[in-house]
Amino acid sequence: MTKLSFATAFFFSVSAVSLGAPAVAQDLVTRTMVGLPDAPNTLTFRLTAFDLYSSDDATREGFEALFTDFIRARPDWKIETQLQTANIGQEQARILQQTLAGRGPDCAMIDSSQLALFKENGVLQPMNAVFSEEEVADLFPYVREAVTNEAGEVLAWWWFTDLRVLYRDTSVVPDAPQTWDELKAAALAAAGEGREGILFNGGRWEGTAFDWLANFWAQGGRLVDDDGEPIFADGENREKFLTAVAYVQDLVESGAAPQRVSSIVNYDAFNAAAAAGTAAMFIGGNWQYGQLRTTLPPEAFANWAVSELPGPTADDRATGTGGWTIAALTDDPDKAALCGEIAKEIYAGPGNALQGLLPTSASLYEQYDAYDGPEFELFAEALQNGVSRPGAAIYPEISNQIQILLGEVLSGSADPETALDAAADAVRAAFERL
Amino acid sequence: MRSSKPASVQIRRRDRALPWLAPALLMLAVFYAVPVLDVFRLAFSDATLVRAPTAYSLETFSDVLTNAVLPEILLTTLIFTGLSVVVLQLVGLMIALLLVRGERRGLHGMAAFRTLVLAAWVVPGIANGLIWQMLFDEAPYGTLNSLLGFVGVGPVAWLSDPVMAMVSAIIANVWQGTAFSMVVFYAARRAINPTLYEVASVDGANAWEAFWAITVPQLRLAIAANTILVSVQTLNTFDSILALTGGGPGRATEVLALFTFNTVFYNLDLAGGSVLALILFALGLAFATLIFGWLRREAA
Repeated sequence: MTKLSFATAFFFSVSAVSLGAPAVAQDLVTRTMVGLPDAPNTLTFRLTAFDLYSSDDATREGFEALFTDFIRARPDWKIETQLQTANIGQEQARILQQTLAGRGPDCAMIDSSQLALFKENGVLQPMNAVFSEEEVADLFPYVREAVTNEAGEVLAWWWFTDLRVLYRDTSVVPDAPQTWDELKAAALAAAGEGREGILFNGGRWEGTAFDWLANFWAQGGRLVDDDGEPIFADGENREKFLTAVAYVQDLVESGAAPQRVSSIVNYDAFNAAAAAGTAAMFIGGNWQYGQLRTTLPPEAFANWAVSELPGPTADDRATGTGGWTIAALTDDPDKAALCGEIAKEIYAGPGNALQGLLPTSASLYEQYDAYDGPEFELFAEALQNGVSRPGAAIYPEISNQIQILLGEVLSGSADPETALDAAADAVRAAFERL
Repeated sequence: MRSSKPASVQIRRRDRALPWLAPALLMLAVFYAVPVLDVFRLAFSDATLVRAPTAYSLETFSDVLTNAVLPEILLTTLIFTGLSVVVLQLVGLMIALLLVRGERRGLHGMAAFRTLVLAAWVVPGIANGLIWQMLFDEAPYGTLNSLLGFVGVGPVAWLSDPVMAMVSAIIANVWQGTAFSMVVFYAARRAINPTLYEVASVDGANAWEAFWAITVPQLRLAIAANTILVSVQTLNTFDSILALTGGGPGRATEVLALFTFNTVFYNLDLAGGSVLALILFALGLAFATLIFGWLRREAA
């Protein structure tokens, strides 16, 4: 080879490496697939839009890297990705129905509140080959109970848990409100300064019911009894329910919260309001702390702080805990194992740390530096008052009726008592038909 | 008029045609008739999304028809469909007449204008809802309210006020559906004999008089056909509302199609959803029959 031809060859080789390598890495993750299209084995994976396809660049790029490493180690596989919409209840019902009809995905993200329904219907396939007994034992007790059956089989992997907290701009609200009254006073003061005092979900979606339920649970209210029968509109629960409705109704009617809360159907609306500097406080998820850190300029982010949700008194607190699981819906053991590996190697651990999500295994908090921040001490403390949604088949309809009730009350088209009676009747009718 | 062919020849011809029609009939049966019949079957059952039917009765019909919420849902559907259909027809007709007039005068940009209107038609319903949700955002930095603020109007509670939420849902539906009406009226208007307008002009009729004396009467069949098509389309609309308001606030924008969807996917009540789907089917059929009856009388 002459000197010129060597130089030419070297130039093209370097160009191919420098230009080609990133192209290959990018090609391994597309909008509908992870891996090479001609890989002989296919796993269908129905996931939410919060990670691999997140609108947040840092999150999406981080998960693209994790998925790329994962699939490179398994060249015989490709993962066909199917996105779930944000309408959680309907998406989950569709997955269940499709799976029962034999048309479901091989692997799917199941909302923790829906896991009991999937277990009841016997569609979850064990993933014991992937998870050791030590790893299962390391799960938080309520998580371990939810993801295993009586035989000790691992039917899903709850890869993160979450909770609702109060965010506040400390330049407007320096001290964390501890009670409902303190929150209202702080919000009214902020509204007087031209800010939106307090924002929360109030539109027609699951987040509205879940976030509001903390106010009901803080008083000791119960949605269903031990048999899964709805009791939220009976006896003491009725009083607690109406008290919690009156609290948010008063926030809107007094001007502490803008009327637009009854149209908010996305947690991203709070990030936008924080970025625009228009909101003084909002009730959001713990995961939004990391999003605010990456979205806001450092000096603006420094003003934001989180605290436990206020209660009717400082001693009566609750917060809704949720999170997502990953479960195998296929009876092919190889695919079920791959599904478990996705949960273990991508999501639980590195995926948690990447997004600042709360792991469900105690050891992971020690393993990653991402959990060294003071906010995680607050989250851990608030989790002591965590309440998860009941694993009852009627829950989606209870949630639906709470969304309707809050929408009607906050928009002034119904009074709380009448709306509660209508909700109770609708839930009762749905329960009898289940 | 009676056929001059003997009956035996007609029967032989029909027998020969059947094999040729069979594939089309089979396709129609499999893809249309079978699912519709299955909805009928499920409506008489107690099926849920996670349980196959165990019994057949009229109980689901009774439960759905006595549901206290149903009248409210039907009224919402009537308002949404009625106003949408009227506005869709008016806006579609206006754009079609504008296009015809613009083309007749050789104005530039008419093709681009037509394409622009048609572009909204191909937007999926969910995307349509999301687009308008961003525009109607009531935050201090919301698009439409910010624009209105520049001219000293608003802010408007586009999605949080029950009445305005309905108006917003209708606007989103009209934005997407206008193109269809425009196409129907554009084709019908182009088919009107230009001599009629020339004669009217000679007689001294102005544009307004020509519109009422020629255009409207000549378009009445197109208006009738478009009313049926647009009404059925609007009755079945739920995706854009789902994305825009979710049916809220409360039930302010929960139309029958969305209520059916919610019954199946929130209550997991497949039988109840099937009954509601039949109500939707019956409403569409009754409306179409009414208009067809009128069309036949007109034709006669």
